[in-house]
Amino acid sequence: MLPLLIAIANSVYLGLRTDQFLGSENLFNLIAQAMPLVITAIGQMFVVVVGDLDLSVGSLISFTTAILALDAPGYVTIPAVFLFAVLVGLSNGLVITRLNVHPIIATLAMQYVILGITRILRPVSGGTVPDIVIQSVGGSLFGVPMPVFWGIAVVLVAWKLLHGSRFGLHLFAIGGGVANGTPDAARNFGVPDRRNILLAYVACSCFTALAGVFLAGRIVSGDPNVGLLFELDAITAVAVGGTQLSGGIGSLQGTVIGALVLALLSNGMNLTNVSPFIQTAIKGGLLLLVVGLQTRKKMGL
Amino acid sequence: MACLVEMSNISKSFGGSKAVDGVSLKLMPGTVHALMGENGAGKSTLMKILAGVHQSDSGKIFRDGRKVGFETPREALEAGISTVFQELSLLANLTIAENMFLGREPVTAFGTIDRARMRRETRKALAALGLELNPDVLVSELSIAERQFVEIAHGIKADASVFILDEPTAALNAADVEVMNAQIRRLRDDGKAIVYISHRIDEIFGICDTMTVLKDGKLVATRPLSGMTPDSLIALMVGRELQDLFPARGTTSSETVLELEDFRIDPDSKPLSLHVNKGEIVALAGLEGQGQQQLLRSLAGLYRASTGSAFIKGKALPLPAQKPSGIRQLQARKVGFVPEDRKEEGLFLGLSIAHNIAVGLSSVHGELSIAHDYREAIAETMTSMNIRASGPSAPVGTLSGGNQQKVLLGRYLASGLDLLLIEEPTRGVDIGAKAEIYNLLRSFADAGGAILVLSRETVELIGLCDRIYVVHGKAIVAELPAETATEHQILNAALSA
Repeated sequence: MLPLLIAIANSVYLGLRTDQFLGSENLFNLIAQAMPLVITAIGQMFVVVVGDLDLSVGSLISFTTAILALDAPGYVTIPAVFLFAVLVGLSNGLVITRLNVHPIIATLAMQYVILGITRILRPVSGGTVPDIVIQSVGGSLFGVPMPVFWGIAVVLVAWKLLHGSRFGLHLFAIGGGVANGTPDAARNFGVPDRRNILLAYVACSCFTALAGVFLAGRIVSGDPNVGLLFELDAITAVAVGGTQLSGGIGSLQGTVIGALVLALLSNGMNLTNVSPFIQTAIKGGLLLLVVGLQTRKKMGL
Repeated sequence: MACLVEMSNISKSFGGSKAVDGVSLKLMPGTVHALMGENGAGKSTLMKILAGVHQSDSGKIFRDGRKVGFETPREALEAGISTVFQELSLLANLTIAENMFLGREPVTAFGTIDRARMRRETRKALAALGLELNPDVLVSELSIAERQFVEIAHGIKADASVFILDEPTAALNAADVEVMNAQIRRLRDDGKAIVYISHRIDEIFGICDTMTVLKDGKLVATRPLSGMTPDSLIALMVGRELQDLFPARGTTSSETVLELEDFRIDPDSKPLSLHVNKGEIVALAGLEGQGQQQLLRSLAGLYRASTGSAFIKGKALPLPAQKPSGIRQLQARKVGFVPEDRKEEGLFLGLSIAHNIAVGLSSVHGELSIAHDYREAIAETMTSMNIRASGPSAPVGTLSGGNQQKVLLGRYLASGLDLLLIEEPTRGVDIGAKAEIYNLLRSFADAGGAILVLSRETVELIGLCDRIYVVHGKAIVAELPAETATEHQILNAALSA
């Protein structure tokens, strides 16, 4: 609940203190700003629920923008982006479940690999992104800006996967066993644990690629550094949202709120002219505060 | 009547030691079958083979006359064999209903989980046990007894006809035991076969029809319980002559090393007092889980509830000992605590023998003191303990159980302590290593040390120790000289308390 309270308190404060905050322009802007983090954090959550981490998401976002900014038509680059995402997820998952490499090491290695390839493809930012991507992010439908629809669609898909399917339940089961120190518990129930963990990494990469597409639409070019440190922000958002990092406990709404809290915080501090360096320090303090105050072993927030 | 399950000539080895050796077992419908034996007799292993957790090396399992082999617990459950193990296997972060259906969740036409149906069927399975629990409650919020009932309900829902209950009452209080027994009778009357593993003799006679006794992995006998008495059952379980494993007893002095007065393991348990003299090995015996372990652990600060006074060589030990400082407090008074589970609590499996021994030696110095050279002391310990390894740099995890246990003891014996509190000195080690360990402990006592030891193996305590305290219900109910004590006497003292 704490993150939600922070978010509300923050909004009320900003609403009273600044004229711009409650303006519809700023609110839509806020959604657009928050969306890449929301999507990445949701993807990250699939992996955190089974007690792992995916550090490769930051590079994957940059890589996605670089692919989209290649000199090729959208009907080639957009499917290619998701194809690569699936490949990244598969190889993360296979290395972790079959070769028994620790998730932090496996995905850290993957982060470097992708980062290297991205810098070969696009050493400095530039290029142009297909029109359809720009339109789908910057345009509006029935007077409502597109990012709102992105948010709704992503949350619906993630909700279905995490809380409305056997896959999601199995992820929670695996994570619960891992957090309890009985990693075989879920397998003993007949849950195919290695396959589900593999799919969790694939889901994480796909959501991340989606965030990359969104970002590419916003910056209208490819940028090898745009995803830098995104993995840390995503993990922060998941943790602030009440998901237990050892696995098994968490909720989608928590993760969304966690990501929104981070976005609100930086939006608010930008409006009140707080230095970005101080913003970073505050973000770290918030993470410590929220995780430290959480009573563990409880569902959701 | 046809039997539901027949296990024929099952054998299983772990490493070099045979845990189960050519055991056959038949389970008939409508019976409660007690599986008896000392710890390490192979009961749990045999049942884990039937439940699909382990696979047998040789032998056959027949289910309703058909030959079967279970690779996973899931396959066993699908064949109608449900297990409630000591270590619970439910997932605490999921609800009761989710646990009941995990791995086989029903889905609706839209591909979502059919939670309404899960709730309905869970309620039905719980109702079959006469329980009214909300299917949406998280398992972490249930008591141990309720969790066990949920596991049984899980079996009922899977339409199991064979239920394996591995010490279902070990963690239950008297009222819950009654409820559990009522459930077991209900299952029996429904024509199910129940395997019941318990160390509580009175329960066995209260509920079981047939019993099978295992000893050292081998089948001793299968008999109807009606012709048995507790005495004849114990005689079957003990069976063996006291082998020539134990060293001669030493002479004890009258100097007291450890003294407990008005000591309560829990605030509401009966006060107890005991003393251990220099040169003496004293045992805490009794049925499993009666408070022997809590008694030792409370001195080390690993079990907090105790009150009373404790004196080590006349100096008071502050109680209750605190968890972060308890062990160091003991160390400062030259007392060592040797935990039961050498793999989890005792040794650093990935580190070398030398490291594992040096930890004990260097722990008496300050954190920032200059490192000492322990090579000689380590080499000496390895020779005197006869630790068989390629050298002091061999990782402890690669050693056999017996050698691991010797490294663990070596750590404490090498640090020049006066009193050792030892849990299960020979758990999971072979007979040769056992004899060596007994000799080491005796020579430690002869050299002026004192030992307070607990073990599930009563024979071991009788052979090794000088005096035996029988613990039951977290109180000391008898004190016996070990020289004349028998297993029978000890069991009797515990059961009649």
